[in-house]
Order: sequence, then structure tokens, then C-alpha cells
Amino acid sequence: MRACKALIRHCRFYPIDSVLSLGVIALINWVLWASVSWIVQAADWSVVSTHLPLFATGSYPPDQRWRPLLWISLLAALTLITLIVPIKRGSNRWMGMVLPWCWVSMIPLGLVLMAGGLGLSNVPSRAWGGISLTLLLTVCSAVLALPFGILLALGRTSDLPVLRHSSRLYIDVMRAVPLIAVLFFGKLLIPLFLPMQLEINQVLRAVVAFALFAAAYVAEDVRGGLQAIPQTQREAAAVLGLSPLQSLQLVVLPQALRIAIPALTNQAIGLLQNTSLMALLGLVELLGIGRNLLANPAFIGRHLEVYVWLGALYWLFCTAMALLARKIEHSGPTLNGRSA
Amino acid sequence: MKGTRRWLLQLAVVVLLLTLMGVLINNLAVNLIRTGLGLSFSWLSRPTGFALAEHALPYRPSDSYAWALLVGWINSLKVISAGLVAATTLGVLAGSARRSTNPLLRGLAALYVSVVRQIPLLLQLFFWYFVALLGLPQSNPSPLGSLFSLTNQGIAILGVHLSVEFTAVLLGLSVFTGASIAEVVRGGLDSVPRGQWEAYRSLGLSERLGLRKVVLPQALPAILPGLSSQYLNLAKNSTLAIAVGYSDLYSVSDTSITQTGRAIEGFLLLLLSFLLLNLLINAVMQVLNRAVIRRGQRS
Amino acid sequence: MNTAIKAHHICKTYGADHRALDDVCVDVISGEVLVVMGPSGSGKSTLIRTFNGLEEIDSGELDVLGIKLDNEADPRHVQRIRRRVGMVFQQFNLFPHLSILENITLAPMRVQKQARVQAEAKAHSLLKQMGISEQAEKYPAQLSGGQQQRVAIARALALNPEIMLFDEPTSALDPERVKEVLDAMRTLANQGMTMVVVTHELGFAREVADRVLFMDSGRVIESADAKTFFNQAQEERTRKFLNQIN
Repeated sequence: MRACKALIRHCRFYPIDSVLSLGVIALINWVLWASVSWIVQAADWSVVSTHLPLFATGSYPPDQRWRPLLWISLLAALTLITLIVPIKRGSNRWMGMVLPWCWVSMIPLGLVLMAGGLGLSNVPSRAWGGISLTLLLTVCSAVLALPFGILLALGRTSDLPVLRHSSRLYIDVMRAVPLIAVLFFGKLLIPLFLPMQLEINQVLRAVVAFALFAAAYVAEDVRGGLQAIPQTQREAAAVLGLSPLQSLQLVVLPQALRIAIPALTNQAIGLLQNTSLMALLGLVELLGIGRNLLANPAFIGRHLEVYVWLGALYWLFCTAMALLARKIEHSGPTLNGRSA
Repeated sequence: MKGTRRWLLQLAVVVLLLTLMGVLINNLAVNLIRTGLGLSFSWLSRPTGFALAEHALPYRPSDSYAWALLVGWINSLKVISAGLVAATTLGVLAGSARRSTNPLLRGLAALYVSVVRQIPLLLQLFFWYFVALLGLPQSNPSPLGSLFSLTNQGIAILGVHLSVEFTAVLLGLSVFTGASIAEVVRGGLDSVPRGQWEAYRSLGLSERLGLRKVVLPQALPAILPGLSSQYLNLAKNSTLAIAVGYSDLYSVSDTSITQTGRAIEGFLLLLLSFLLLNLLINAVMQVLNRAVIRRGQRS
Repeated sequence: MNTAIKAHHICKTYGADHRALDDVCVDVISGEVLVVMGPSGSGKSTLIRTFNGLEEIDSGELDVLGIKLDNEADPRHVQRIRRRVGMVFQQFNLFPHLSILENITLAPMRVQKQARVQAEAKAHSLLKQMGISEQAEKYPAQLSGGQQQRVAIARALALNPEIMLFDEPTSALDPERVKEVLDAMRTLANQGMTMVVVTHELGFAREVADRVLFMDSGRVIESADAKTFFNQAQEERTRKFLNQIN
């Protein structure tokens, strides 16, 4: 409503604009009407609605489907709780302590639920798929890429030439290569560089390739954060008798990482989107499921329905991640005047 | 005392890296001997035996792998350079629109950025190719006749024919990168002090003129670094062309490696081409950057 | 009478020819308050930064609390010195991501391995001494400059230092905030703390200093007890400086 008023006022001042605006509004109305009527009438959603479990879990054994579904629901619930509960300093300390641990525990929980163990029957990674695989790939690669990226950033900013140059070489080469090449050659080459007896499964290979790739980008973001920390912070830590390692761990890194949160969020969202590349390389994650369905002659001409559905899902995941990151960012104290 | 520790630490890192490389290379050698491959580039001169749908240079299946890779490289350059122009135009328009006085424009631009940036490029490519372009009618009688035609065989403008594959990759790359460039442009505009906007408005300049002559030139130094990293992203993302069957460098490399089994040599060649491409884009952006800075100093 | 800091003929050069410290000799006796004055760029900050190893000296002899701090000093010795010498900076340099209480307990818990209860009790008593006990749970960005600087003093005191170094502690403060910080320092001096203070505050120097050192261009121009220094300075340059800032 307020937007309408703003528009009317704007048009009073810019008459040429108002003619254009009317045209655009007409166009928007037409697009909206066409979309809605397509979604409601023309589209045949049976290709989506009859395959919901497939989109969620891939070809996971039907009697075990509750395991990936449980993991997805827990993730969704945790996301909602984190977004709704106010984590302000002082108030609600308890939530501020418990939530991070809940998040950390989601990783081993997801692995056990998907792979089996602890009394659950083993399900080979070949049978993993759909949303659960997309989320698992994202989470595992991110968790591996973060520490590796931080190490690379520290190496890149070190005053020891050997460390600095080798980190820099790695970062620059990785950032020059397209991801699909890293994934494709990771698939071909990782087995060549490993001893003959050692075989690692396809999901793990993908996770390693994603993590190696993402770490180079994480490193540059963390480096940006490190450079934003004034030298005087290190001095203040030094005069208190903290060792260089303690100064890094307790003073410099916590601040640098908080400054890097927006950039790191973009990397995490990019990572989630990039897991879709595995659809070209033989894993049936979310996009892979869509492709497989469309290859079925029964669903010929149902491309738009599937793509709109997949687009909505990806949009939802990415937006949820962005909201989560903003929440984390705003829950900390102010750093040097800017809210970080 | 301090010096010795530094050297010891570095020595330890060198030893660690060398050991790691040694183990990896040893495994590689063992595996290569086992598969009887070895390292060699002689396959580059052998005929490929596969056809390429699109080639700017004359090409037949009897031509060599090296020639095929060159044709692929040119195809990549073609789509990348067209994509750079289109994405920049789209990005600058959408980025400026987000700071426009017209709320409708602002809303549209925000919608574009928030939708496109949260959906994987690969999915968008599939949409452009399978739905938007292949969904077109076989023949599309248009009033413009031979000037412009849009069918599922491709697009013809003034006698220039663009294939469906090329168009899909171009659309996908430009729309996707355009949204990221819009964010870069918006950030650049925000870096210009509010006083500058108020100053041109108080002088009675129109919004468009003020943006073009006052604000954008001052925002450029803040925009260029982000822009060049988006350009590099576009170049790297162009490899997703393989998903819709456009014969770019990566797709030709992929086929060649599958046929010859020369993964390591293929990877090295691809790495080299992309390092070259990066250097090229970086060099151009450096020149631009210097020009902008020089102009900033003069005024 | 113990000597806390012995500096003999110390020199320090930046870059090719900028002599920050040029053959400086000074002894600081336990329990005394030494005020260092001089125009900006005179080397006074560099001098006190050498006293806890933030700056390495190029030549000369420097002995702090019986530990040698020359250019071949073991980094571990430097660290040991820093636990016994507190320092307060011009820009406070509190850790913005930690609360006031955490700022103060960080070093006692991590360096001296004190228990949390003990460290926090000490922190609260220091905050009370500084007159800001109600700020413990806040973050640095929520405090005024004067309050932040008092937290910085408390943070340094939490390690029970034998010497306190102050590097222009009031220069970054609003004029009306200067007094609260100087009062805290005065209390500290009255408790017998060994202090080296770089400052332009003449009133504080007159009232609290036992001795005043005047530096210019990296050299010690004059060193005298406070009364002599302010009333009968020997050197022309000292008198000129005092006239300028008066």
C-alpha cells in the first residue's frame, strides 16, 4: 500500500515516467495473470506430486526413507527455531549456548542417519539422492572447507615466505579453474593419485573436490577479515602476555571471522547451488532427480513444471541460509563502530 | 634465536609439502604404469573422429585433437565476450535501478536480483534451453520477416544466425552474472557520499544525467574490482555450456579425454587455457582500472 | 632502592636514517613515577614500547626487571616480561568482541591459568576501584572513551604487574573525560606502583611525577625531578617546549 502511494507521488513529479510506469504495470499484470493461470490451470503438477519422496530422498530404500526425511525435518525445525528465537546478549543465554551445539550435532547425525551404523542398517552411498544428498554434500564440504580455508588464509598472510608463496599458489590456481573441471578431474584423478588398494566412494570424492575448491575462496574471504583487524589488537594481546597462537585464537580470528560472515555466507550459498553440478557427473542430487524424471518419456513436455519446482526449492534453501547468516551476524557485539 | 625458529618452521613445511607431493606422484606413477598410459602429448595430432556442431574455423572429424581444442577455445571466447557485454549492460541497468527514484523500477530490480541469485546457474541454463528456446515453434512467421526470426532452430538477426545452444548459454550467463553485477554496482553507488546525489539534484540535473555524469564516475573505482571478479566468474561458468551441448573448450576437452583417456594431459591443457584467459581478463581490467584512477586524479 | 628498568645507550633506527632513539640512557627506580614528555616524533612512545619488547632495540643495553631485552632476546623471555609489565595505549585497544569482564579475565585465565571464579572476583574489584563496576557485562563499543580507558587500565592491572607503562593515555579522550582517567592513575601512583607515563598533561606531571624526562629527536634533552624540571629547566629547548604547551 505504501509502495503504491510512493509510486503515485513519484508519477506526479515525473510525467514521462508515469506513462512508462503504466506500461510496465500493465506488463507486470499480464505476466502475473499468465503465471497464475499457468500454475493453477495449464500446468500438470502430477510429475511433482507423485514423486515427492523421490525428490526428498532419491532411490533410498523405501522402508528406510524415514531416516533422510527425519534429518531434513530436524534441519528445517532447527532453522525455524534459530530464526524465531531472539538471541540477544544478556537475555536468553541458554538458547545462545544450546543452539550452536544443536547445529554442530546435525553433521554426525546426518551421516549416521544416511549411511547407517549405531544399530541402523547400512545404506550404500549409491542409493543416496535428492534433497538429503544436496544438503549432505553442502554441509560436509562446507565443514571441511572452512578450517582448510582458514589455514590457507593464515598461510597467505604469514611472514614466512615459504608458507606465503605455497598458499598463494594453491589459492590462485584453484580460483583460476572452473568448478566443473575440478569435479570432473577430481573424479578421474583422485583415484590415480591414491594407492591402488584405496577406493573411496563417489560421494566422498565429490565432497573432497568441493572442499578443496571452496577452501581457496574461503581463504580469500578470511584474508579480507584478517586484514580488517588493526595491528594494535595484536599488540594489545601481546602486552598481556598472550602467545602469538593465543592472540590468533582468542583475539584476531574471532573478529576476522565475524567480519567475513557476509562473504562466507555467499560462499556457502554458492556451494549449495554448485552441488547441482554433480547432476552432470553422476550423482542424483536434487537437480539430478529432476533430470532423471524428465528423461522418462512419460513426462515429456513437463520441463517447466519440474524446473519451477526445483527453482522454488533452491530459492527456499538459499534464502533460509542468507537469513540464518544475518541472524548470526546481528547477534554479536559491535566491532569498531560498525555493526558486525 | 628467532631466526633459527623461523627457518626450522619453513623447512618443516617444505619437507611436509615435498613428502605429500612425493607420495602423490609415486602413486600416480604406479597407477600410470599399471594402466600402461604414461604421460604423452602425441595424441594431440591424431584425428578426433567426432563432429562439432559449431565452429568458427573450418573443422572436420578428420582434423586433429589440437585443432578441435582450438575451435572449442574460440567458441568459448565467443560466448564469453558476448556474455560480458550483455551481463554488464544488464547489471549496470539493474544496479542503477535499485537506487532509482521510481519505486516500481526499484522493486523490479530487487525482485530480479533476489530470484536469480538464489537459483543455480545450471538449472537456469536448462530452463533457457529446454523451455524458453526449444519450446519455441518450428517456424515463427513474423512481420519483420528476414530481419529477425525466433524459432527452435535458433535466432536470426539481419542474416546472422545464432544457434539455440549458443543463445541459451549466452542468456543463462548474462542473466545470472547480470544479477551479481547489479549487486556490485549497487554497492559502488552506495559508496558515493549522499552529498553528491543531493548536489546534482540541487543543480536541477535530471536523475538519469546526474547518475551518468556525477555518481557513476565516482562509483567506478569501488565497482571495478568486484566487476573483474564477476567477469572471471562468468568465464569460469561458461564451462557449464556442456550441459546444453554447446561445444566450448571444456566440452571438447571432456570428449577428447573420454576418447583418449588422457586425463592428466587434458587437465594441464585446460588449466593452462584458463590461466591464459584469466590473465587476459585481468590485464584488460588493469588497464581500465588505471584509466579510471588517472581520470580520478586529473579531476 | 631497586632499579626496575635499566636502559644504557639504547639506539633504534627506522628505515634508512630515521633515528627514533639516539643513545638514550635512563634508569627507572622501583616505586617511582617517571613522566616522559616531548614534542611528537621525539621518540618518547618508541622508548616506552621498548620497555616491554614491542619495539626491538638495535644496540645498547636494556634490562627490565632483571631480564635482558636486546635484539637477541629470546621471544619467550619477552613474553615473560610482558606478564610483569602492564601497558595502556592511547587508543585503549580493548577487544571489541569480548565483554568488559572477558577483556579483563582473558589474560589471567589464559596466561596465568587462574580459575574463572578467582579471575572474575579480581576483575570485579578492579572495576570497582576504577569506578565502573556496573559496566562488567557490556561490550567496549557501548562505553565512553574515558570508561574504555579505565577498563584498559583494569585489564593491565589484572595480571598484578610490577611496572605500568602508559602511552599517552588521555590523548584520544574528550577533554571532559580526561580527569576520570588521570584520577585512576593518581590512585595507582599513591599505591606505590612503578609507572612510566608518556603524557602532555602538565598538571598530572607536576603533581604525581617523581621525575620528568624531556626528549627531542630521539635524544634525552633533560632529566630532573619534577620540581626542578618545571621551575628551573636547564635547557633552552625544554623551556621553549614548556612555554608552548602551557
